[in-house]
Amino acid sequence: MTPARLPRRSRSPRLRSRSLRSVALVTAAGVFAVACSSGESVLDSGNNNTDATTTGETTDVPASTADTEVTQPTEPSDPQTADAPTTSAIPTTTVAPLAELPDCPTDALDGADGVVEIVFWHGMTNELETALIALTDEYNTSQDRVVVQLQNQTSYDNVADNYISVSDSSRPVLVQLEESRLRSFADSGAVVPAGACLESSGFDTSAFVPRTLTAYQYEGIQWSMPFNVSNPILYYNRSIFEAAGLDPDDPPVSLDEVRAASQAIVDSGAASVGLVLDSGPGSGGGWFLEQWFGRVDEPYADNGNGRIAPATEVLFNSELGVELTTFLQDMIADGLAMTVGDNPGGQDSFLKLADQTAPGAMTIGTSAALGTVIATLGGGLIPGLTEDDFGTGPMPGPGDEPQVQVGGASLWITDGKSDQETAAAWDYVTFLLQAESQSQWAAATGYVPVRTDALDLDPLATTYADDPRFAVAFDQLLSGGDDDLANAPVLGPQREVRGETSRAMASIFNGEDPQTALDAAKQSSDALIANYNERN
Amino acid sequence: MATELRAEEPSQSVSLRSRPGRASGFDAPRGGRKLARYVLLLAVAFIVLFPIYTTVIAALKPGDQVLQDPLVPGPFTFDVLGDAWTSGRLGRYIFNSLVVAVIVTVCQIVTSVLAAYAFAMLDFPGRNVLFVVFLATLLVPLEATLVVNLQTVDSLGWLNSYQGLAAPFLATAFGVFLMRQVFLQLPPDLRDAARIDGVGHVGFLRHIAVPLVRPTIGALALFAFLGTWNQYLWPNLVVNEADMNTVQSGLRLLANSSLDQPNLVMAGTVIAAIPVAAALLVFQRQLVRGLTAGAVKG
Repeated sequence: MTPARLPRRSRSPRLRSRSLRSVALVTAAGVFAVACSSGESVLDSGNNNTDATTTGETTDVPASTADTEVTQPTEPSDPQTADAPTTSAIPTTTVAPLAELPDCPTDALDGADGVVEIVFWHGMTNELETALIALTDEYNTSQDRVVVQLQNQTSYDNVADNYISVSDSSRPVLVQLEESRLRSFADSGAVVPAGACLESSGFDTSAFVPRTLTAYQYEGIQWSMPFNVSNPILYYNRSIFEAAGLDPDDPPVSLDEVRAASQAIVDSGAASVGLVLDSGPGSGGGWFLEQWFGRVDEPYADNGNGRIAPATEVLFNSELGVELTTFLQDMIADGLAMTVGDNPGGQDSFLKLADQTAPGAMTIGTSAALGTVIATLGGGLIPGLTEDDFGTGPMPGPGDEPQVQVGGASLWITDGKSDQETAAAWDYVTFLLQAESQSQWAAATGYVPVRTDALDLDPLATTYADDPRFAVAFDQLLSGGDDDLANAPVLGPQREVRGETSRAMASIFNGEDPQTALDAAKQSSDALIANYNERN
Repeated sequence: MATELRAEEPSQSVSLRSRPGRASGFDAPRGGRKLARYVLLLAVAFIVLFPIYTTVIAALKPGDQVLQDPLVPGPFTFDVLGDAWTSGRLGRYIFNSLVVAVIVTVCQIVTSVLAAYAFAMLDFPGRNVLFVVFLATLLVPLEATLVVNLQTVDSLGWLNSYQGLAAPFLATAFGVFLMRQVFLQLPPDLRDAARIDGVGHVGFLRHIAVPLVRPTIGALALFAFLGTWNQYLWPNLVVNEADMNTVQSGLRLLANSSLDQPNLVMAGTVIAAIPVAAALLVFQRQLVRGLTAGAVKG
């Protein structure tokens, strides 16, 4: 480059760019602002921002591991119903397929030199996290072989999304996954089945509530261990019930009773609506719908709720589904119920009960919220409401008798970790599942103990005796059988299907014809299921 | 919150520019239009400031008063701010955010200045095409490259690390564009004079060009810093353990564990916003000047 050339060359683009400069700068600044504000603002912190980007990946996991198909058992029989109810807890009848899966060297801790550190990803928040930290601290100090490090991923969905989006080596050895993940993680080929650990350790599950174990069995294999078992219960404001002339100790159980109670509440002016509904996938728009079908032993999906053989279609647009959603739609249309919409985190429906100006009298929420609700009201956050002002009752629904499926989350062990880590994870799991831990856990949170002998131990024995609100979830869980239909449906794309029903419920609440909305949701759900089955 | 603060900038730059106009008697708005303009500005200011107002009010109230008359200030207590600092571990998170923001800011300045100098001062084949390609990346949102970036960072073993948090943001087309525009404004005679004195490109850049465009570099630094500080999505993906959270992803942890303490969450938000607000107040003039420097040739 000669000195003479330099000025001439550099001048001409400058002249051209000058005229465009102001326009381009404004455009660039605009794009910059947009890029910065998308998904990065504090104000978005309530939203699950990983949704958009990881939904595609959720379905990728089974696809990428489709070559592990070999591990799937082929016998179409149903091993659970063949067992006697008391011993069905241990899936010993399925030795053959289990042998093809990763093994669980539970005795590897004995040969460990030094402390084994393991990481546990969970989605527990508020009082639930406090209780989990207390249990884990107790475990860490109770022995000197294992140190468990808790890592809070802030929600069930985030636990699963983060787990799926990172590579094998970045995954923790122990992970807590929502009940709806059963099939997709069983198909993933990336986990050590809990059944293998049960077998090699001889861990005694005879005191377990059988349903809590069978809920996490798929194709005859115990995939994970139930830890935090919850189910939906009715939360209601006792003083509103009294003001409306209703018995605050006798909450409604059937749908007719819910309508009658709501009518009395609205007529008396005790509250502006009776029942507060929501259409969130993790509650009123998905989970509760599955629960309502289970309550009257109606199948939600074919092939025994997907438990006898992989489900090929959902059945929620049946007569029951239409009747149920029509009932809810009428309640809203008649001013007896209202919806709070998507209800992220399950908080909005509770907050509507605490509304100062136009409160609702009842809502349905997970029993796991009990500890947090008590702590919140006990802290005096809501003016005029104390922790004694609310009561709980069985989840109302079709039929006359309360009955629920096992909800909540279970503990999964990651494959491909060292023997010592695997053994350490199992050791921690057995600590969390022992009667003392479950007693402490259930009393602090509102979760249901997975084993009956936890009921005899304090603090839970005292809690259940002194505060009947805690025992509701346990009692209604026991009222259900442990056959396939009473257990929750198992679908590959269960989270996506809940998204479909959530949208359908929202539109039904807004007045769309229930049959039309459910038919459409069934069609798209079946497509999701067919697509999943094709790849797995 | 900071995005809103940033949203104020255009209106301020407008008012800054209209001031000399008013003084010289040109295009001074008549009474009615002026009034309407101020009413509009007041309305916009209200919309922008209202969430900040409620946040600050809630952050300073004791727990049992937060939901009573939420719009009325008082009674005041500063205990909540202290609680949020300790129980929310904000000190640790702010430190993490600072480290990442400083890394990103320094690297963005270096990469932007070097690339912009090449685009503005060097003559090489395909220069303009390459520059347009650079600019085009401004149109690709963060979300589009998210998965690939995450996989890259993961395979490098950089999850839960400062380098993982910073790596995708070390160079930006925006910075290159901004710096190129100011380099183009430097008189070519400067470069010629430097050449005659035997100064090479590195010397010219270091001793002449960079000192002359310092205000723009300051603006770029501020933009890079604020942008990184306010990141939410990326830290949430890259960080899975509490210790490595940045202040924004740490705030989510605080919010998730304090459902029964809205005042604590608000206090955390206020604390997280203070460094940004302070930086904006201090560098506001420079920010506006730096951004408009290339827009209107004086």
